[in-house]
Amino acid sequence: MIDEVRTMPTAVQPQLMRWSVVLPGLAALAAALVLPQFANGYVTEVATTALLYVVLCLGLNIVVGYAGLLDLGYAAFFAVGAYTSGILTAEFGFNFWLTIPVAMAAACVAGIIIGAPTLRLRSDYLAIVTLGFGEIVRIIARNLDITGGASGLIGIERPEIFGFRLMQVQHFYYAFLVLALLTAFVCLSVERSRMGRAWFYVRYDEDAAAGIGINRVTAKLQAYMMGAVIASVAGCLYAAKMTAISPESFTFNQSLLILLGVVLGGIGRIPGVVLGAVLVALLPEVLRGAGTYRPLVTAVALLAIMLFRPNGLWPDKRV
Amino acid sequence: MVVSFKRLACATALAGLALTTIAAAADIKIGIVAPMTGQLASEGQDMENAVKMAIDAVNAKGGVNGDKITITTADDACDPQQAVTAGSKLVSEGVTAIVGGYCSGAVLPTLKIYGDAGIPFVIIGANSTKLVAANQGNAFLANSTGDMQATTAVELFKKNGYKKFAFVDEGDAYSSDLAKLTAEAFKSAGGEIAAKETTTAGEQDYSAVVTKIKSSGADAVFWTAYHAGGALLTKQLRQAGFQGGIVLGDGNNSPEYLEIAGSAGEGVYLLSPPTVDLLSGAADFKAKYKETYGRDAGAYAALSHDVGDLIVDAITRAKSADQKAIIEALKASDFKGLAGEIKFTNKNTLQTSNFRPVIAKGGKWVAVE
Amino acid sequence: MTLDLLIQQLVNGLIVGSFYALIALGYSMVFGVIKLLNFAHGDIYMNGAFVGLIVFSFVGIWVGNGWLGVVCALLVSMLAVGLLGVIIERFAYRPMRNAPRLSILITALGASMVLNGTALALTGGRHYAFNTDLGFAGVDISTVHITYTQMVLVAASIALMAGMQAFVSRTMYGKAMRAVSIDMGASRLMGIDVDRVIALTFFMGSALAAGGGVMAGAYYGSVHFFMGFIMGLKAFTAAVIGGIGSVPGAMLGGLLLGLLEAFGSSLPFVGSEWRDVFVFGTLILFLVFKPTGLLGRSVVERV
Repeated sequence: MIDEVRTMPTAVQPQLMRWSVVLPGLAALAAALVLPQFANGYVTEVATTALLYVVLCLGLNIVVGYAGLLDLGYAAFFAVGAYTSGILTAEFGFNFWLTIPVAMAAACVAGIIIGAPTLRLRSDYLAIVTLGFGEIVRIIARNLDITGGASGLIGIERPEIFGFRLMQVQHFYYAFLVLALLTAFVCLSVERSRMGRAWFYVRYDEDAAAGIGINRVTAKLQAYMMGAVIASVAGCLYAAKMTAISPESFTFNQSLLILLGVVLGGIGRIPGVVLGAVLVALLPEVLRGAGTYRPLVTAVALLAIMLFRPNGLWPDKRV
Repeated sequence: MVVSFKRLACATALAGLALTTIAAAADIKIGIVAPMTGQLASEGQDMENAVKMAIDAVNAKGGVNGDKITITTADDACDPQQAVTAGSKLVSEGVTAIVGGYCSGAVLPTLKIYGDAGIPFVIIGANSTKLVAANQGNAFLANSTGDMQATTAVELFKKNGYKKFAFVDEGDAYSSDLAKLTAEAFKSAGGEIAAKETTTAGEQDYSAVVTKIKSSGADAVFWTAYHAGGALLTKQLRQAGFQGGIVLGDGNNSPEYLEIAGSAGEGVYLLSPPTVDLLSGAADFKAKYKETYGRDAGAYAALSHDVGDLIVDAITRAKSADQKAIIEALKASDFKGLAGEIKFTNKNTLQTSNFRPVIAKGGKWVAVE
Repeated sequence: MTLDLLIQQLVNGLIVGSFYALIALGYSMVFGVIKLLNFAHGDIYMNGAFVGLIVFSFVGIWVGNGWLGVVCALLVSMLAVGLLGVIIERFAYRPMRNAPRLSILITALGASMVLNGTALALTGGRHYAFNTDLGFAGVDISTVHITYTQMVLVAASIALMAGMQAFVSRTMYGKAMRAVSIDMGASRLMGIDVDRVIALTFFMGSALAAGGGVMAGAYYGSVHFFMGFIMGLKAFTAAVIGGIGSVPGAMLGGLLLGLLEAFGSSLPFVGSEWRDVFVFGTLILFLVFKPTGLLGRSVVERV
């Protein structure tokens, strides 16, 4: 089975329905569906965080994995979503569900503003631009009154669906599970679309891509905006879950953590990214017992993974 | 990889089951939530140590209502997201009560979790006014609030004849809240605000801000953030020849401040939380702390120790580990500890401010008469 | 803004800028030879400061807390931390040399976290005082006071950077470094010991960062496990402004960043809380119009 995969002739072959992916996928899904029935609040909380990272990592994977753009400020779009939704519900009394399209639009606009002039840059320069953008968004959120300043927003309304209000962590767990599945589905479909192929060519060889008539900047911008939209939706749900958000949740470190998830599992491929995201959320929790040594132990684990599996734990075998 | 993914899911489920069984054990369990890692790790470790000391002493005398108390610590790293997982970890472990909390930003989103679970929560360090608004009735602020500190600060400003102040914060929830509250109180008391500046935590060079303060004509500076930045700012202000007064918020009471600021720290005012050096009855505690942990008791050690005793006191008076009863007992607290009196208002904040203005003299903090 | 204020902010900017330049230089050199954004560089700077402090407190017993002590601390720390840089390269980066670039980036992040986590575990998050008796004596230009320490500091960092520039442009090893940075494979074919050149680059870059760390520790008077994080970010920014991979570019970038920050803090109508928005905003605008930084070459990229 594995050999078959390795010898697959072309690099852009769409991901086929392989049992080696489908079976564990289904098993994981089944486990995910029943988890809150068996687990206590803490485990469910950690699992919810893991799902949040799954969504964010899948979103960033579109930018970094599919289009090959190094983004060090992805948390900015997460912040745009969280703050848009938070402000609209807490200050203006909007219905939560109505804030999602607004947040998506806001993320799109932010993506165009920062992306359109800078996406021509080489990746290292793009990295600092995105980093700077991330910091700018965080500082704006910290300094303005409407965003609640440094203390952030409190009293964000919890969403209601068909008369049922999402209150407990279990409810948000399922909400994030739905969002994660939706995101995975979107990723799967764009991966196989024309757009997905264009991204692949751009990443593989920009000049050749231009040569066969792909508009590089448009392709990159599409990837950038799609990533932004996904992060913003995650932000809306995050704000609703936390009921209080503050700039501290959208730091450079947050962006790095998301990037870590994308690379750790295996960049560019959905199962790998999901695995990486879950690890990023679980690792610090599993290591809680290490106390002050926790950052060190986490770092050593991470370094070891990278050194022994340079392509990630579950890498893409096609390229 | 397939295998390990499944194993992961199983392990998570098993961990869940295991934790539920632990929660059924008979002892009274108290959770500590504090920053054990990250920039403020030092403060968090102090809090954990001091609470542990209090509880160990109680256990040595046979516990409370005949039950031994066990402690479990959860690291919030002063980060909101980590605080939420840390909080729900404690809740899931079935703790009877929770103490701790240093950074307001990290404590805020957890109030809902503890509130929904009905767990008594005594906040030791965090004191943003937003905490009071978001409290669901189960949380208690053992530290004086930002409002109280602002009042104490303005009294001190007036007493020293300072008229024109520059406020400097670090852009985080705690320090910007304190700067804002104090600036408002100072303005309404007839003072003038010369400048409002923000620095970045972790930076070392404050010269641009120092230059701005000097040229603003401020006759005094109020630094509202933590001691590391405070020491650097003090040093750089004095090096630049700033002659005016320097006043520090309660996050600055650390021996490290005096060590780093050195001679530049002389004559600086500090609105101090009740620390061991200022408390007449705390000499034994101070010595024992140093003996046990091999380090000096930090700014919140005395208060943390008191909060440990306070929760035991409340459980004793509640005559059970019933959380509702403990919350009621806390509301009715009339407790006297190392750091002074703890009695709560109807908003669960301290009745009397425990801030003490002190001044640095000869490398030591001395009370201001 | 009055003239005095202008001069004062200029001085402030130059001093902080020369720190940025020193750190950015190592960042840029490492990037030049192996195209790696070395996230651990800021932590190397922090380690340098700690080693410097330890040495300083030991030699202080014999030579006092003056210049001699600082110079001893500087030299020992540069040597020790330079070797640390080589060790990190050998065990963390060399095995990854043929891995995807993003994986190396994450490895660098991991190395940074290891250094930082070790420092946290060893110090318990304490801030240490680095007290010297260098004093505040100096010269006055109208109301602007410039201490001798500040002058020595700027002079020392300029000397270090000039030395580095001379090394890279005049010596055989420098030539080898430049060759490796242009084409590693071809350099190997030409008989250059690539591994050795890379190790040397890491040694020099890390030694510079350590030197910066000791000077910053002694000048500001405090050392802390977290001090490298912001500095690493700043150095990265400065290196990019100057044109990443370029030695003189890193110096210029560092100074420019220092000046941007100093003046960004005293912009009319907005407070220092907007400084970083100003700095990063300027940076982004600048890169839009000059996409390779001040002195960077335009390179055809192949990922």
